[in-house]
Formats: sequence, C-alpha cells, structure tokens
Amino acid sequence: MPYIEVAGKKIEVDEDGFIQDPSLWDEEVAKFLAKGEQVEELTEDHWKVVRYLKDYYEKHGIAPMIRKLCKDTGFSLKQIYELFPTGPAKGACKIAGLPKPTGCV
Amino acid sequence: MAYFIGTILPYITVAIFLGGLTWHLWRWTAARIPHFIALSPFPKSWAGSVGFIVWQILLFWNILKFDRRLWIGAWPMHVAIGAILGGHILGIYTLGLQFHMIFPYAISEALSESLSDLLGKTIGVIFVAAAAYLLYRRFAYDRVAAISAPSDYLHLLLLLIIGGIGVYMRFVPGASLHYDEARHFLAGLFLFRPEPLPDNVFFLLHFLFVQILMIIFPFSKLMHPFGMLWNRWVVNRPYEEPAMGIPGAQIVAPAGVIYEDSGRTIRVEHWPRFPVKGV
Amino acid sequence: MSGHGPKPEGFRTIPTWEVAKQPAERPRKPAAPHPATKKTLRELGIVEVPDEHKIQVALERLKEQIKERRSYMLAMESCVKCGLCQENCHTFLGTRDPDDSPVGRADLIRKVWKRYFTVQGRLFGKLVGAEDLTLETLQKWYAYFYHCTECRRCGHVCPFGIDTCEVTMLGRQVLFWLGMIPALHADTDVAILKSGNHMKLTKAGAIDTLEFLSDEIEEERGFRVEFPVDKPDSDIVYVPSSADFMLNPDTLKGAALFFEYIGANWTILSTMTEAGNFGFLSDQYRVQRELYRRLLEGAKQLGAKKIIWGECGHGWRAAKLYMRTMADMNNWWHIPVVHIHDEIATYIATNQLELDPSRIPQPATLHDPCNYARACGHTDNMRIIIKACVSDFREMQPNREKNFCCGGGSGVLFDDPEMYPMRIRFSQKKAEQVRATGVADGAEPGILCAPCSICKAQLYPMVDEHELNVEVKGLLDLVGKALVFRGKERLGGTNNEKNQ
Repeated sequence: MPYIEVAGKKIEVDEDGFIQDPSLWDEEVAKFLAKGEQVEELTEDHWKVVRYLKDYYEKHGIAPMIRKLCKDTGFSLKQIYELFPTGPAKGACKIAGLPKPTGCV
Repeated sequence: MAYFIGTILPYITVAIFLGGLTWHLWRWTAARIPHFIALSPFPKSWAGSVGFIVWQILLFWNILKFDRRLWIGAWPMHVAIGAILGGHILGIYTLGLQFHMIFPYAISEALSESLSDLLGKTIGVIFVAAAAYLLYRRFAYDRVAAISAPSDYLHLLLLLIIGGIGVYMRFVPGASLHYDEARHFLAGLFLFRPEPLPDNVFFLLHFLFVQILMIIFPFSKLMHPFGMLWNRWVVNRPYEEPAMGIPGAQIVAPAGVIYEDSGRTIRVEHWPRFPVKGV
Repeated sequence: MSGHGPKPEGFRTIPTWEVAKQPAERPRKPAAPHPATKKTLRELGIVEVPDEHKIQVALERLKEQIKERRSYMLAMESCVKCGLCQENCHTFLGTRDPDDSPVGRADLIRKVWKRYFTVQGRLFGKLVGAEDLTLETLQKWYAYFYHCTECRRCGHVCPFGIDTCEVTMLGRQVLFWLGMIPALHADTDVAILKSGNHMKLTKAGAIDTLEFLSDEIEEERGFRVEFPVDKPDSDIVYVPSSADFMLNPDTLKGAALFFEYIGANWTILSTMTEAGNFGFLSDQYRVQRELYRRLLEGAKQLGAKKIIWGECGHGWRAAKLYMRTMADMNNWWHIPVVHIHDEIATYIATNQLELDPSRIPQPATLHDPCNYARACGHTDNMRIIIKACVSDFREMQPNREKNFCCGGGSGVLFDDPEMYPMRIRFSQKKAEQVRATGVADGAEPGILCAPCSICKAQLYPMVDEHELNVEVKGLLDLVGKALVFRGKERLGGTNNEKNQ
C-alpha cells in the first residue's frame, strides 16, 4: 500500500490516492491531496464543499448524493466541476478524506 | 497395405468413431445445466424452441443475418455434405435407382441413374468450390487467420481432398467405380464378411481419407453438429414468466391480460390469488 | 468535463463498411485493470495463490468447473472458429485485437483445456491449437476477461449459440479463486458482503437521501411522496437500481411517483438497497448468492408478497436467470420477482396511467441494455413505455437484441489510465449508433435513454468523450416526469434539470 507523507505523518492511501483511515484526515492532508486533483489552492468555496462532505460522512457513514451536495452547498454541478476538475465523486470526496466510491459509478 | 485399409482399418475406424462419439456425448450430457441461461429469442413452448433450432439448421439463419460472406461458403458446403451423404447411402444401396424408387411412375430406371450421376457431379463441384472458398477465407481474412490453429486449415484440406477425389472419380471416365462394386465391397464390411478392395486406386484413396476423417471426427471440432444441438438445448429453452399485477395497489391492471414481449408471454393476475397446489 | 485521460492513439470513428477490410493485431501487452490490494483480498477472505502454485490451482479449478457445467463444456468443444462473432462484438470493432473478440477470448481458455484435458491436445499440441498454461497466459486472462462486457451478443449471433459470456464468467471465477481480481470488483464485492449494496450505503445515509428526494418531489410537483424503508406489512419490496442513491436520483423518484400513482403498499429494504450484483460479475459462488439471501430474508421478514426489481441490467439478468436456482427457490410462487418495466408496461398497455408526452419535447432514443434484450426478452415493454412518455422517439439501428453494448457492461468501469482509453474504444460503436439517430444534432441536448445503471455510468463520461450532445436518462426518469397527477400536482418550482 503506498503512503503519503504530510506534515511528518505517514498516511496510507490506495492506488487512486484515497486515504484509507478517515480519522487521520486534517486540513493539511486536504491541501496535499488537492494538489493531486488539479486544485492549486483551496479557497473558501472549496472548504465549504469539503467541510460539508466531511460532516455528512461523519453523520451518515457515506458520501452524499451529488445533487444534494449541490443543493446544500448552493453550487451548481458545473460550478463543482470548476472547483474540482476531477469531479465531485473522485475529486472532492478524495480531498475530504472520504473513501472511494465503489460500484456502478 | 490395401488389405489393411480395406479389411482391418474399417472396423478400427468405426469402433473409434462410435466409441469416441459416445464418450464425448456422454461427457457433455454429464455436465449439468444449473441455471436458466436463456438467450434471445425466447420461445414460449417446446414446439417453438424445436422450430427455432430446426430453422437455424436448415438455413444457417444466424450466419445469413450476421455475416453474409461466410454464409455463401458455409451453407452451400453443408447442404452439399448432406446431399452427398444421402446420395452415397441411397445411391450405393439402390445402385443409382433411388429416384426411380421414390417416383416410380415419373422417373424410369435409366433416368434415375443419369440423374444420380448429374446430381453427384453438380453437388460435388459445389462442395469442392465452397470448401475451397472457406479455406481461402481462412487465409485471406486477417482476423480469422489470427484465431485459426493449423488443424483448422487441415480439416478443410482433408474435406477438399475427399471431395476432390470424389469429383475426379465422377468426371474422369477411367477413374470411376460402378455402384455394384462399391455396394458389394461395403456390404461385405457391414456383414462382417470382408471382401477385397475393388481395383481402383482412387477408391482406395477416397476410402482411406474418409476413414481418417472418421477417426479424427470425435476428437475435433467436427463434433459441432452435435455441439449445436446440445448447446441450443441449454440456451433456447422455454421460460415461464411470473405473472404481473401489484398486490395491494389501488389501481390494478385488468387480470388475465396477455401481451407479447419479444417472445415472452406477459399475463396479469389479481391479488390475493388462490392458493397454488403443491406450494 | 471528465478530464480522465488522453484519447487512445489512432482513435477515430470508423464507418462499419470499412471495418471488414482492417487488419487485426495483437498488442504486446493488453491493457489490464488495476488489481485489488491485499487488504481487500483479506476482507474478501481469499489469499492470492503464490505464483509457483497458480498454474496447478488454475488447472484444477478449470477442470472441475468445465466438467460440471454444460455451457462451459460446449463452449470448449463446439467452436469451429468461423469468426462470425468477431465482427459482431463491440470490443473487437473498437480494438481490432483478435484476442479481444469472443472466439479469441474463449480460445485463451480453450487452448489450455485442449492441451491438458482432451485427447487431441495431449497428442498433437500446437497442431490442434493446444498451448501450455503459463503465468503470461494467466495475465492475459486477467486482462481480456475484464475487457469482455458479458453482453452476450456473441451468443446471439453464433450459429451454435455458444455463449462466450459463460467463458468469461468461468475465467473470472477461476481468477477470483487465484486472487487475481480488479480493484473495482473486489472493493464492490467487499461492500456487498458488508452492507448489501455496492456503495457501502448505510441505512442512515439511505433514509437521509430519500428524505431529500421527497423534498425535491414536493418542490417540483407540489405534493409529498414518502419513501418507506423497512416498512412492515408491505405488499411489495422495491429494489432500487444501482447508484440511484448517489448518481441517478430521477430514477428513484420516477419509481416512487409510479407507486404513488397506483397507490401501492411498497417499501425499500435497507439490507439490500441496490438491484445490481457485482458478485455476478466476479464471484458467483459466494458474493452473488449472499445478496439474494439478504433480499429473500428481508422480504420474508417484511411479509412482502412480491419483489419488484428496479432498472438495473446485470442485476435483473442475474436475478431472473440465477436467483431461483441459487436460492433453492423451485418456482416463482413463493415470492415472485418481476421487473418494474413489465409492471408499468401492463398499466400503460391497458390505459391505466395518464401520461403527458409533451413534457418531454426533446428527441429521445432508446439504448437496449444487453442484459435486458439478449438475456431477458425485455425490449418491447420498454418501447411501450417510452413511446407513451416522450413526444419524439427515434429507434437506434440495430436495436433490440441485435443492439451493441455500451461498452461498460460487467463492471468494465475502470478509471485507471490504462483502461479508461479502452472504454472509449469499446463505446465507439455505440456513439456511431447514437449519431445516426440524429438526437444529438439539435441545439438542445437530446435524450439517450439507457435503463441500466452500468450503462448510465459508462455513458455519462462517454457522451463527453465522443462529443455527443445528449443527456443520459433512465426510463423511470421519463415515466416520473410524464405522469400526470390530476388534482394533486402543481408543476413548477425550482427546475432541477440543470443540477443533474
């Protein structure tokens, strides 16, 4: 299993770069992962989405429906793609430390 | 040598042929069909299923629909094989008088013999031409050559040789054999009183190559006629659909409605239904 | 918009009549999906067989499987290498790799079977096309059996009906036991064993999402529809199609609107919330069966009388053809399992539903999912539905059971840089078909109706890659939109189309 090093911590990731242990996530990790997802800098808008995702995951144990994400953060899907070029599932969820979506996605 | 080919080998050949055939068919039948893996079309009844399979066999329907260039070689060749086999059995047994026996008033004995000769020539030529075309196709099409093993070419070559010798015997007067001699020889074999081979090198070669074909038959892709039936039995069996009709719904579709969907019969039932026996 | 990787080299749309003239070439190393990690394998309870034992184990498993099932046995022994299936398989049409055609793919196993288990193979070896099994061959199996989308078009066109999909399933099963599984399938299998669905969806997540959908319906239509979860004394259990909870909300809403319209007493089961079954696509012995056990047990507990399947292609085929025999259910009378399209079609055919096609003015075309058309006879019912729901319906050619696969079937939804360009090649034929209907030509996006979750997951990025101006929708989406709730609904409110 490959590792990434962030601020002295070694965090396990899978081959796609999703972190394996969500409890090790923090804002530094998010910034590190963002670079790999073509997001140079995390603005307030980015953080809004990331924090929403993290909260939802902690409450419900799963990533939210894409449309709900759009509605609750107030961004349209197009705007989400502008913020996270690799998409909400792969990009935003990865930066927020959620596990990779599996199945017919 | 001729003694071996004419007297001993035929029995070995038939033993291997029948033994191999039985063994393979037994092996196939011993394998189960655990799941209902139906494939389109979806015949509603066994009659529909059998009809579909017969239709496929008679016309090579799938090949006609999906690859015409293959069909123009495969169908004539297989029809010719069927006619040749039938012609050999009937013709040799009746000494060329099979048409007279089927239509005694319309066809005289002489006409029957010349018909037998003419048909033999025509169908022989068609067979050789179609087999040659298939062999050419196997070389010329890159994609087919890429998946062909040497034995695929050799099978076709063997058929070409057998057919070629047969056609040669038909067309060249000195090479042919009269039905009488052939029947005499074969009858001897069948009745376990083997006679010596007729004095005709072409017959000897034809007979030898046919025996080679029979020996390799159960151990090669030539088993495909049986394979086709065994396989179609797996995928083209009728399937009973459960009935439509949503229990507890306030709006219900009228019961008993039947409509067709790609071969499936959809019927509607009402709930609660009467208890079904045996459940 | 997807930005997942470069287009494959030499990529262009090739008209079909030119295709026959093209040569066929084997690549040196076929594109293979990313393998599963050791951690995932451990969670699945399997250990990867070490290299020095792989061949032995593979041969033993192969022999036992082929001898046991007639479809495998006949696929091994009946093929005459006519090559008909090649030009009719979308993977071959996209890649021109003879090993990527049905006959070539089956040959990967057939050569090994001949070499070890047939008289002619043992005696004559390469002459009859028999080859030893090597680790390189196993690697090829791993690559090519996960290129096949199990669409069964080959079985449909084969003169003998040889189903190369069965060979693919055989290959995948043996590879599963060897521990050679792609990460996508292995992770999804773990999710199935843990949570009964592909996405590790929890009950809390499901309930929250369903509340959100109820809110949406209220906004769009003006009345509230509740989505019951685990409701006791329900008459029917509805199994939503895969990824509805994440990606395809309109499909779930469409189903709920239908049930609301007919006043059905329905529920969703939280222990099995997805119609799909990735176990069917990788490990049929355990994972596929597990999902059915969950469903039947849950349905029995809720006292359901019928199970209605959502629009999922492989899930429906797996349930319709395999559930009975896998779950020891000898007949349908215990608890019949039907598909929602059939039910809706019976209602439409008898004029029980009021639908307004003018709500969907864009031109629409229907993609017949492989599993519906070729395995389940499920084609005309979709046409009954779609013709009643849209105003401008155009057929694709070829259609129904002759239709080509979307290119993503059987979970070939890999994202890694090696396999993603292959997906674009596999869907090339599909893109040609859509272009030919003209639905992508207008100023407004047309509708490509693909009533199968894997097709949707494949087509969402593929319509971008092939630059088609269409929206991918499910059939239940259209039904939900077109249903007229007289006296109840007030259309308007926020238009959520842009958000999808």
